[in-house]
Amino acid sequence: MTKEYFSIKLGVAALALGMIAASGCGDKPADPGTTTTTTTGTTATNTDKPAGDAPAGERKAPPVDGPKVADGEDIKISAIGSLTGDQKPWGTDSLDGANMALEDFNKQGGIPGHKIVILPGDSASKPEQAQTAAEKAIADGAIAIVGEVASGHTIQIAKSAFPKGIPVVAVGATKTTLTNEGTNVFRVCYTDDVQGPVMAKFAYDKLGLRKMAMMTDNKQPYSQGLSASFAAAFKKFGGEIVDEQKYESGNTQFSGQITQLAAKQPDGMFLSGYFTEVGPIAQAARQAGLSKVKFLGGDGWDSPSLLTSGGDAIIGSYFCNHYNNADDRPQVKTFEEEYKAKHDGKLPGTTMAALGYDAMMLTLQRLKAAKSLSSKDLIASLEDTTDYKGITGDITLKGMNGNPPKRAIVVEVAKPDAQGQWQKFATAYTPDQVK
Amino acid sequence: MHLPSVLVAGLDFSTLPQQVVNGILLGAIYALIALGYTMVYGVLKLINFAHGEVFMLGAYTALFVSWGLGYKPTDNPTGSSPFNLLLMLLASMLVCAVIGVLIERFAYRPMRSQARIASLITAIGMSLFLQYGGQLVLPNSPPQNIAGKINPYQGNIAIPLRGKNADLVAQAAKAKPAFDQAQAAFQEDLKHEKSEFDLTPQGQALSDAAHKAERTYNDLQNKADASGLQVNLPQGQMIMLVTTLVLMGLLTYLVMYTKRGRAMRAVSHDFDSAALMGVNVNSIVTFTFILGSSLAGAGAMMNATFLTGTKIDTFFGMLPGVKAFVAAVLGGIGNIPGAVLGGLLMGVAETLVVWAGYSSYRDAIAFVILIVVLLFRPGGLMGSSKVEKV
Repeated sequence: MTKEYFSIKLGVAALALGMIAASGCGDKPADPGTTTTTTTGTTATNTDKPAGDAPAGERKAPPVDGPKVADGEDIKISAIGSLTGDQKPWGTDSLDGANMALEDFNKQGGIPGHKIVILPGDSASKPEQAQTAAEKAIADGAIAIVGEVASGHTIQIAKSAFPKGIPVVAVGATKTTLTNEGTNVFRVCYTDDVQGPVMAKFAYDKLGLRKMAMMTDNKQPYSQGLSASFAAAFKKFGGEIVDEQKYESGNTQFSGQITQLAAKQPDGMFLSGYFTEVGPIAQAARQAGLSKVKFLGGDGWDSPSLLTSGGDAIIGSYFCNHYNNADDRPQVKTFEEEYKAKHDGKLPGTTMAALGYDAMMLTLQRLKAAKSLSSKDLIASLEDTTDYKGITGDITLKGMNGNPPKRAIVVEVAKPDAQGQWQKFATAYTPDQVK
Repeated sequence: MHLPSVLVAGLDFSTLPQQVVNGILLGAIYALIALGYTMVYGVLKLINFAHGEVFMLGAYTALFVSWGLGYKPTDNPTGSSPFNLLLMLLASMLVCAVIGVLIERFAYRPMRSQARIASLITAIGMSLFLQYGGQLVLPNSPPQNIAGKINPYQGNIAIPLRGKNADLVAQAAKAKPAFDQAQAAFQEDLKHEKSEFDLTPQGQALSDAAHKAERTYNDLQNKADASGLQVNLPQGQMIMLVTTLVLMGLLTYLVMYTKRGRAMRAVSHDFDSAALMGVNVNSIVTFTFILGSSLAGAGAMMNATFLTGTKIDTFFGMLPGVKAFVAAVLGGIGNIPGAVLGGLLMGVAETLVVWAGYSSYRDAIAFVILIVVLLFRPGGLMGSSKVEKV
């Protein structure tokens, strides 16, 4: 062996080491955003099995009763979000919303005899950090945890909270099987079993599309699950999935996939990944000559940076979201006024502020309505929620296994107006409409 | 065994020419980064793992310059000029050169007298330091991108390989009036509707009719398009390819035919003897880092600008860095034309994997190639594999 070969091999070994180190340190969150695993259907070309949780079964009750708040003691509620890392915009928005909810709740009288304290936790866009944050919150005496936005993070929180009997109210985690973790887990958003079919129905009925191609992010279970649920629904409605191409988060070049996909001549493309790659994909598709193809996607698009990464190509595309700033429901209007007063007249950039508000407000109100100030009675009280008028819609949790049947809205990506608003309301669907 | 039939059935030869072109254009970026790896390895026998991070910092430099030129996400500029691009390119190259020199001076030079593994570990450390340290100071979440408007070279150069079938084109043209009519009828109706997606039954019928006419028209037009064959060359990426080839030529000239190049080769051959012959080893190493890093800067600027919407975060250089490293090994590490050849081959290999219908394995092919090269031709395609006598 010559010196030269040796050092190359050394280099390769070191390269492997470096990559392990990098991935170990979590260069990408394993699971950013609202992660999905649906069990509905597989796609034409998809040989991947939906990554797996057990099918929805009996939700188990936590083995122990959680903590109680003694007379005169502070009520501690933890709010966990990604305050650093890739998902920082979602984390800060959701905590902002939670703090606003507490302020409002106190204005409405609060809980007499007790001060309510929010314990903020940082999940740093990483599942393992979410777990640490949850355990710290529990050790610090939190009687409930509000969070997280990403499903992968929320699962870790739920696993930590279950053995301690602490209720978890998820903000934006849409993974369908999430609430199977236990009867202590609730959420205030819809699930991925809703948003895939919603976009399929919209594409088929409203846009008149029949031949869809999909681009799936192979690194994100959210994207894989959403693509699968979209494909199953679209085929059920009578459409055809002409192609599915894969990419990975962090890719910047998509010309190869786009060329293959363009040869199948689709009417529309379903981009189930995150905004970071969706924008460049849309631009690459336009550049490759797919000038008329419509782009559609899920709530992973919800970030204003989609506009800069997608440029003109993404304008006029549609995606599924939780609520819209232009909604004329009174709750939305009040929330917006308040938000603007606190943020120099700006409206929230993502929907996570409103969902964070809803999650915290629901928790506080149900705590007030609970038989006693304890985790156990809070769980029972949350389970009893009927027709809570949230900003993002009406929430009913009674007999729903923690998944509120909420309407999902479809928004159009438009050029931002003077207010910076770029999501134009198109239409809304209730879960029953897309069954 | 049904694999062969599956393999053949998935292939669509009409897209092959375009995919080869895509691959070559993609390879141009790998080639530019690989040139830097190869230069440093050639002289120092050090694999500079921080090279991908220099590339990342080059992209950030281009981003900041573009902001300075008035292309912030909040701005609304009109048009651009090649001058802007040139400014970004020069700034990226300059900043990267400085960073490369600093890395060499403070991270590698103190390690030079130690065992080679020490430098290698330092290089990995440097790479992680820049990735994670960069997160503290650079706009990282959400990832940023350079506004597409700064690139005046938009659009494609279309090269027709086979004309479209005239009959089909005529048929498509014939279907157009029906589509226009249905569309106009719906647009007329839309004036009385609440919104495009909240229609009266009559409006819904018109909308459905318009969509149906559109599908008929699109189908015919698609058929007409499919009867022809053309290759699209994106203008920006063509510039990238040409720049890569020009830089390769310049570098080869510099290394092979100038005095400084001879000194570089001498240092590469034997550090100590070169020093004894009066070559200033430190200045040659610094010069090598300036060259290699400024090439990475050029590659980063062009990657971030011409591939519109590319997201820039502190891990921007990781995957391209790894692939360029493979490209350098493939071409024969230490060999300048080899690095370019390796880069182009890597790009083509990647798009051919996608072409064959295995887009999930696009990034894996780099490592398959690396393993195959190391097993069968460890010196690389253009590298020497002489056995050294000790």
